[in-house]
Amino acid sequence: MNDIYSPVNEKEVSDFIYECHKDSSPIEIIGNNSKKIGRVIQCSKTLCLENINGIIEYFPEELYIKVKAGTSLEEIENTLDSKNQTFGFEPMDLGFLYEGKSRGGTIGGVVACNLSGPRRFKIGALRDHLLGFKAINGSGEQIKSGGTVVKNVTGYDLSKLVSGSYGTLCALTEVTLKVLPKYEYQETFCIYGLTHNEAINFFSTAMDTSLEISGACFYPADNTGFFRLNDVKQNNSILSLRVEGPKTSVQERIQQLRKIFVASDYSVLDIFQSKAFWNLSKNLELFKNINEIVCKLSLPITNASEFLSKFSNDIKYFIDWAGGLIWLSTKDIETISKMRIFSVKNNGHLTIYKSDDNYRRTEEFLTCGDTNFKILSSKIKKSFDPNLILNPGKMYAGI
Amino acid sequence: MVLHLPEADQKILDNKSLIVKELNRFTCNVLSDNDELRPYETDGLNVYKQKPLAVVLPENTKEVSEILKYCYQHNIKVVPRGAGTGLSGGSLPLKDCVLMSMGKFNKILEKDFKNRCVVTQPGVTNLAITQAVQDQGYYYAPDPSSQLACSIGGNIAENSGGVHSLKYGTTTNNVLGVEIVLIDGTILRIGGKHLDSEGYDLLGVFMGSEGLLGVVTEATVKILKKPEAVRAVLIGFNSIEDAGSCVSDVISKGIVPAGMEIMDKPLIIATENYAKAGYPRDVEALLIVEIDGTASEVEAMIQKVLDIAKMNKASYNKASNSDEERMKFWKGRKAAFSACGVISPDYICMDGSIPRNKLADVLGYINQLSKKYNLRVANCFHAGDGNLHPLIMFDSNDPKELKKAEDFGADILKYCVKVGGVLSGEHGIGVEKRELMCEMFNNNDIQQQLSLKKAFDKKNLLNPGKVYPILHRCAEEGRIHIHKGKTKFPDLPRF
Ligand SMILES: Cc1cc2nc3c(=O)[nH]c(=O)nc-3n(C[C@H](O)[C@H](O)[C@H](O)COP(=O)(O)OP(=O)(O)OC[C@H]3O[C@@H](n4cnc5c(N)ncnc54)[C@H](O)[C@@H]3O)c2cc1C
Ligand SMILES: Cc1cc2nc3c(=O)[nH]c(=O)nc-3n(C[C@H](O)[C@H](O)[C@H](O)COP(=O)(O)OP(=O)(O)OC[C@H]3O[C@@H](n4cnc5c(N)ncnc54)[C@H](O)[C@@H]3O)c2cc1C
Repeated sequence: MNDIYSPVNEKEVSDFIYECHKDSSPIEIIGNNSKKIGRVIQCSKTLCLENINGIIEYFPEELYIKVKAGTSLEEIENTLDSKNQTFGFEPMDLGFLYEGKSRGGTIGGVVACNLSGPRRFKIGALRDHLLGFKAINGSGEQIKSGGTVVKNVTGYDLSKLVSGSYGTLCALTEVTLKVLPKYEYQETFCIYGLTHNEAINFFSTAMDTSLEISGACFYPADNTGFFRLNDVKQNNSILSLRVEGPKTSVQERIQQLRKIFVASDYSVLDIFQSKAFWNLSKNLELFKNINEIVCKLSLPITNASEFLSKFSNDIKYFIDWAGGLIWLSTKDIETISKMRIFSVKNNGHLTIYKSDDNYRRTEEFLTCGDTNFKILSSKIKKSFDPNLILNPGKMYAGI
Repeated sequence: MVLHLPEADQKILDNKSLIVKELNRFTCNVLSDNDELRPYETDGLNVYKQKPLAVVLPENTKEVSEILKYCYQHNIKVVPRGAGTGLSGGSLPLKDCVLMSMGKFNKILEKDFKNRCVVTQPGVTNLAITQAVQDQGYYYAPDPSSQLACSIGGNIAENSGGVHSLKYGTTTNNVLGVEIVLIDGTILRIGGKHLDSEGYDLLGVFMGSEGLLGVVTEATVKILKKPEAVRAVLIGFNSIEDAGSCVSDVISKGIVPAGMEIMDKPLIIATENYAKAGYPRDVEALLIVEIDGTASEVEAMIQKVLDIAKMNKASYNKASNSDEERMKFWKGRKAAFSACGVISPDYICMDGSIPRNKLADVLGYINQLSKKYNLRVANCFHAGDGNLHPLIMFDSNDPKELKKAEDFGADILKYCVKVGGVLSGEHGIGVEKRELMCEMFNNNDIQQQLSLKKAFDKKNLLNPGKVYPILHRCAEEGRIHIHKGKTKFPDLPRF
């Protein structure tokens, strides 16, 4: 490993990047090094933003929190918890995936990876919750965009661009995120023994109601052992539908689900089990301690069945976002290549979340089939980072 | 009114007949006679007028691409236009531009209930999307008051919102994909029927980019299932402070109403005279709260809201008992603009966003300004998300009054920024608020945005003169690196 520079304020970050910009010397940006995500890159310098931390302002009644980018997710979540609030986008703790134990990393890393959990299909991705930010771009200049209010059409919405840019556009130093009051109550309705095709149809039935389902996932039978909860039946596939809100409303809606799915084998998880269930699912504990390539595939719902018919025997997987997302793992590089082809053909997006460094060094991390998109991406990268020094090659080779 | 716009290129003006001839090669819909151009000389901000060099009305993506490519090669400016209802002058033509009207892109291409989306051309009106899917119990959530007329393309360009954005978000939260054409003719598809794309979020940055980054030729929008039950309540207060703090309390108690709007007394009276919605005339502020969800949830929430209102000294309340009654509650609010049009020859509508708890403060300041400028003002707010719409009334026959109204508006927006808000919540910057951008952004911020613009449009030909200041020196050209406080001319005014 090379030397790690850990500045303590924005000015130091700016000065450091400015010097590197002058020498065209590449920098790897890290938060607290929790996620081995993206392509492996060669940099002479590492910029660690962990020491730029602390909560700047938190106004629960205004529903936002402004923090320095190196603040740990844990600290922020504890603070929100104390006011009975939370992030609507349910950031995932990828520590289980990479190290087998909790390690949420810094909020800068979470934003840079656009990590959004099970509620995404109902309430939007992380990018929809980033109200504003401050950062240092690749020329060492401090820039800002957005603000603290939800409605804002004042210049380009750069918050969207930096969410999910994996530190390739700028080093974030401050982020303002929308927060929400916690739901008072939740329960989860589990249906057992479905095939993946049936599951996709059941999602459709559930989403075609006004029941405001806020979590909808499916695990095939051999992948459910890690849900050790009293009311989760083992050795069966599980389709789970989460309902959140005021208690009476939740119970009423669960009652309606009972009516709709009366012919199915089901159980209802109480608030405690429901919370535990979605935490295990969100943090990808299915893939804990396994040594395989783990990917995420975002697909139109109507293409999910075809995908699973083709590949389900070669992968370990679960479906999230009511059919819109498939998390999967495989040992076989060939299978990944075939899935990439399928994905490009069907307007999907396949992202490698975890793989060995050899794969990370030689293979693509994202799957982009569109040359024009890449050309424009390369221009955008240069508009923030003209000498291509920030995490060069992390997203795509050459960008 | 003199408005600084980018200087017209005399060579282009001189070449008009040739350019028109060339444009006719790409599409059969080219307008160039003065009379034909007149309908396009202004948009919803009709204090500014300018006829373009020519108008094109392409019919498909190929035509859009060929026209743009031609203009790019010949350095001709292009201004995209939807329905022309924009309130910030975003589709105001330039003398030497080709105005590209998307009016012929008026078809809904696909209703896909399985993926819960609609694929549409950009010229389709906002309301037409809901109308196309409502028989199946679905609707398109963003609902600007102009929804009968404004186009989806314009909504995307302005990231438009409506009274229901509090719960369901603005355009950016409801569009899944677009097809766009860049100024050099490149056709790009971004997003689609799936939820998240990897790579830079071009879809997100395109929303609200005011027609500066590309022309939208197709959009895939999310549709939602209609809620089981909806009810609204009207709540009256004897002071705007009480109404404001009621809004803050509702939100911080974890209630997310579908809509939450405040109107002040002048607007209550104006809309009541105009639309006869049944509003109380003896209150200082009227709050409309709409709740949706399951039937019992709606009942429980309405009760909670009324309890909170009582604690905030509400003097009046009335809950809707039928859908007709609920629609009547909204009829007044949705007619706010027309109602002001009746009581004043002209008005301009401002659009700042502020932190919710500053509502009363900002409104007090607006009333002071109203006295100072001696101009009437009526206010409506998307109170739930702090988006203000002061309507400043004036008479454009008196040239001094327009200037006064504009100064009044600018003062309001500066104050919004001062209390932690922003210049525009949903109408965009356009030409109207361009010169105020420096209230919010410094030189570095603006230069970063201009660099991004260059990535999409190297020659700055697509909708130039909008959003970014042209009077301030720093935005002219080039980048000034201010490092460690050192710059060549530190005392020259910049951002
Ligand atoms: C013990 C160890 C061994 C390693 N071995 C290797 C190796 O063999 N080969 C190798 O190439 N790398 C190696 N690394 C580096 C590591 O894999 C990368 O640094 C990692 O991919 C970067 O993300 P992160 O782990 O820092 O995650 P996080 O800190 O969570 O960051 C996630 C993503 O967000 C970005 N990010 C974080 N904070 C910010 C911010 N404030 N602003 C903008 N972007 C931000 C990061 O650049 C990254 O893209 C090693 C690291 C450690 C600690
Ligand atoms: C009475 C009234 C009420 C209103 N109420 C609201 C409201 O409640 N909420 C709200 O948000 N707005 C409101 N507006 C403002 C306006 O209706 C919106 O901004 C609307 O989205 C503009 O759409 P349009 O089709 O009329 O676009 P235009 O006015 O034609 O254009 C607006 C901008 O979009 C660009 N543009 C248009 N089409 C395209 C395209 N296909 N590709 C690229 N760029 C394009 C133009 O260049 C321009 O910059 C209201 C306006 C009026 C007159």
